[in-house]
Amino acid sequence: MTDHATWIKACAAGDKSALQALMTAEGGRMFGVAQRMLRRIDLAEDAVQDAFVLIWKRSHQFDPSRGSARGWVYTILRNRCLTMLRNEDRVQPIGPEAMESAINDQDLDTAFDRLDQTDDLRRCLERLDLQTRRAILSSYVLGHSHGEIAGRMAAPLGSVKSWVRRGLTKLRECLS
Amino acid sequence: MTDRSLDLLIDEVALGLADDADVARLGRMAQADPAIAARLDQARQRLLALDDTADALPLPEGFWTRLEARLDAEEATTPPAAPQPAQQNVVELSSIRNAMHRWRATAVAGMAAALMLGVMLAWVALSRPEPAVIAVLLNDAGEAIALVEGLPDNTTRITLLERQNVAADQVMQVWTKPEEDGPPVSLGLLSTGRSSTLTIDGLPTPRPQQLYEITFEPAGGSPTQLPTGPILGKGLAKEPVT
Repeated sequence: MTDHATWIKACAAGDKSALQALMTAEGGRMFGVAQRMLRRIDLAEDAVQDAFVLIWKRSHQFDPSRGSARGWVYTILRNRCLTMLRNEDRVQPIGPEAMESAINDQDLDTAFDRLDQTDDLRRCLERLDLQTRRAILSSYVLGHSHGEIAGRMAAPLGSVKSWVRRGLTKLRECLS
Repeated sequence: MTDRSLDLLIDEVALGLADDADVARLGRMAQADPAIAARLDQARQRLLALDDTADALPLPEGFWTRLEARLDAEEATTPPAAPQPAQQNVVELSSIRNAMHRWRATAVAGMAAALMLGVMLAWVALSRPEPAVIAVLLNDAGEAIALVEGLPDNTTRITLLERQNVAADQVMQVWTKPEEDGPPVSLGLLSTGRSSTLTIDGLPTPRPQQLYEITFEPAGGSPTQLPTGPILGKGLAKEPVT
């Protein structure tokens, strides 16, 4: 088992120091992921706090044979961020729209650039056209919905949906 | 459902594009079929590298203390999670007995929570940290509307002295001027419309004569990062005499 899996198992046994160890190892990255999606430090802290409470409460459901412990942790965090983005109207852009959009594009390009050169995901994303790649990246990295992607690209919702689907199919075929 | 549409559903859930109903549907399918669960895990694993492209940022000060307090509160109010029955289709004859146990557990947990609250109140009373500065915020009519206590670590306690009727599309935002001739900096939102404690990193320890104010801003906070709305109240800080 990895460190992460060991910590989560220890959480299930009620060991708070294991949760603290997980926080020390992964909390900073989680905070970065949450800020990239939520755009506000206070909300990002709430999301990471909530995620750790959920990790603690659900630790007994974690099954190391079913997937990576880090993947499990980030799934919990991402779902929390997405719920905050979709269901709570308190998440508002912090700046004028044009500035937001420039920051977003920059975040997407940075995310792509930071993928390891040898990473299959990078190689397969590279094969998509720029718009499709940005659409897929903005849903994962920024948590954008179909509607937000359509708005940003000034394209009809229906075409964005089918276009993302085609991209996802290509991506899956390339990755498997 | 065809295998192709299942693949797409899995991808959209992993990517975060699926709506709540689809997420729940796939969750049920994954619970019933380990092969689908494995495919979902695999799809998530493929995208995990993108989370590593986010900056690792230092967690705010006091993060663990706040988290630990929440865990303690959870433990005091929720009974430990019961393991899922392995066969969900089988009628559980013991369910009534379990329900009784849960009621009892809830009652015991309730008593424990009350006891815990007492202990915490005593602890808060004993260990409430001393503010570096205190400001009384006054409105235009000269009435005191809030008490602001600025702690050395830039935790700010705001005690509202009057209930404010905040419009649904507005929020109270707290500001300070760490430098006398610098711009105001947001300390945070009083989103619940009630007294609150706000924390912020990267500001100097509050000083006497520092300006504090509360303004009404659009929901979500000022769009310009500077106060735009009407001022509810403002005041200059003073150092408490101890």
